[in-house]
Amino acid sequence: MGSIEKIHEMLTTKQCSCAELTKSYLKEIEKSNGELNAYVNVTGDEALKTAAIVDEKIASGEQIGMLEGVPMTLKDNLSTKGIETTCCSKILKGYKPIYNATVWDILSKQNAVMLGKTNMDEFAMGSSCETSCFGGAANPFDTGHVSGGSSGGVASAVGANIAPYGLGSDTGGSIRQPASFCGIVGLKPTYGAVSRYGLIAYASSLDQIGPITKTVEDASIVFDAISKYDDRDSTSKGNVGGDTYSKLNNDIKGSKIGIAREYIDGVRDDVKNAVLNAAKVYESLGAEIVYFDLPALKFALPVYYIIACAEASSNLGRYDGIRYGYKTSHYNGTHDMICRTRSEGFGEEVKRRILLGTYVLSAGYYDAYYKKAQNLRGTIIKAFNNAFENCDIILAPTVPMTAFETGHAVSDPIETYLTDICTVPVNIAGLPGVSIPCGFNAKGMPIGMQLIGKSFNEATILNAAYKYQQAAPENFKDTKWGVKL
Amino acid sequence: MVTREDVENIALLSKLFVPEEELDGLTQSMQEIIDFADTINNAPTSGEAFDNINNLSNVFREDEVVESYSSEEILKNAPEQAENHFLVRNRE
Repeated sequence: MGSIEKIHEMLTTKQCSCAELTKSYLKEIEKSNGELNAYVNVTGDEALKTAAIVDEKIASGEQIGMLEGVPMTLKDNLSTKGIETTCCSKILKGYKPIYNATVWDILSKQNAVMLGKTNMDEFAMGSSCETSCFGGAANPFDTGHVSGGSSGGVASAVGANIAPYGLGSDTGGSIRQPASFCGIVGLKPTYGAVSRYGLIAYASSLDQIGPITKTVEDASIVFDAISKYDDRDSTSKGNVGGDTYSKLNNDIKGSKIGIAREYIDGVRDDVKNAVLNAAKVYESLGAEIVYFDLPALKFALPVYYIIACAEASSNLGRYDGIRYGYKTSHYNGTHDMICRTRSEGFGEEVKRRILLGTYVLSAGYYDAYYKKAQNLRGTIIKAFNNAFENCDIILAPTVPMTAFETGHAVSDPIETYLTDICTVPVNIAGLPGVSIPCGFNAKGMPIGMQLIGKSFNEATILNAAYKYQQAAPENFKDTKWGVKL
Repeated sequence: MVTREDVENIALLSKLFVPEEELDGLTQSMQEIIDFADTINNAPTSGEAFDNINNLSNVFREDEVVESYSSEEILKNAPEQAENHFLVRNRE
């Protein structure tokens, strides 16, 4: 049973009140957040208000929904009405959205108890959470290591049991990579499955919101709740693939699980071995493993960085110091005001990506970079479509290595970009991917693997993830922190 | 080849200031990233032009008047406002 079902049972059988449960989470946050830096804003008063509503419902004998009264957290790029939403950037400090992101609209109507907003790389640009203007979030397995990024705060909080679940966003791996580093579950849904309305944009053709949880059941429950059609997102399709939770624990005998050689080559030995061991587990469950080549993958990373930075340079044009957020204090003329505001408000990595994006879109370079990258995006999509003619699921490492030590990522941008090599192809092709833990390295740091499915086949990959979780529970290890349910 | 002038030019287009002392370092770092991006030029160009993901396309609707936010609410986040408008001073 996952954390969500457990909490639901505790509440409905009156083992504890929602207020008591919420208070124990707030207490643990207070105790450990100094060291973890997972939360950047704790919203205790609002959480207790919602808890009181849920307790009243329970006391009056009303039925409560599965997510009702369950504490949770949101990455700080998801808009929350009246609650500061900063993207962990100086440029948005003090910004209080006047509307909710659709995902938070859905969950808050179900009386989800939001404990607070969690840390992230500034504007979701980073792989270690260290580009946050609040400093990075620590890894619950070893606080000398990073939590990963960009949704590092959510992963740190869930891994440390100071939130049962959270929502993050994934543009090039930002849900799956920190889930992998923190030994938990992260689902990046199909592009279009979850509304992006109210998600502060980084790269709109790649961004997608999804759950970060301790177990596969939890990810499935949360995904089913948030995957709804929304007319405020022009690329919304909603729940095309249908409910996933009822399909967990389906037999996978005869399923074809594909491994692309390009995904396995070049990753560290401990990661490679853990993924190949997982393949053996699937074989023992009756699945067939098929190997194939996916040569287009070698272009995925530059294609990703060109497209993501191009879109970011356009999306981040809105920060001008006029309508919201930070504004410089001394300037001469409006051009000077906007340049100073942006130069003082954005961090180094954000500026680097805006400049790169502007470069690849500028006259003379557009054809060689942006247009070529878009063309290759089509090639990569086609390559995945071909691969899925011979298999149902693709099994791959989530990250070529385990969590790096604090401070390591900052020194070399290209080396840091390379860590996204296994996750970005999924965003380029708009596919669903789930990362689950599949082992530990010699130092005890978690290793993650991802299961990639056809578009809108979340049910297939979550079922396969669930089967693995049942067969190899030793890889889903708890940490010393937080609330023990 | 990324030059100092390229970086100055794209910084202007991006409305960002690059301090003189950071210009050489940034030019070099941009060059490294562009070299990395250049690896796609070895890729065979195919006819698989990209036009959408998952057959998604823009959904159009009738242009109907619906309730929106009050300007008072929207202006709450503005660094400066006056007479129900965003205020932009020419100098400060």
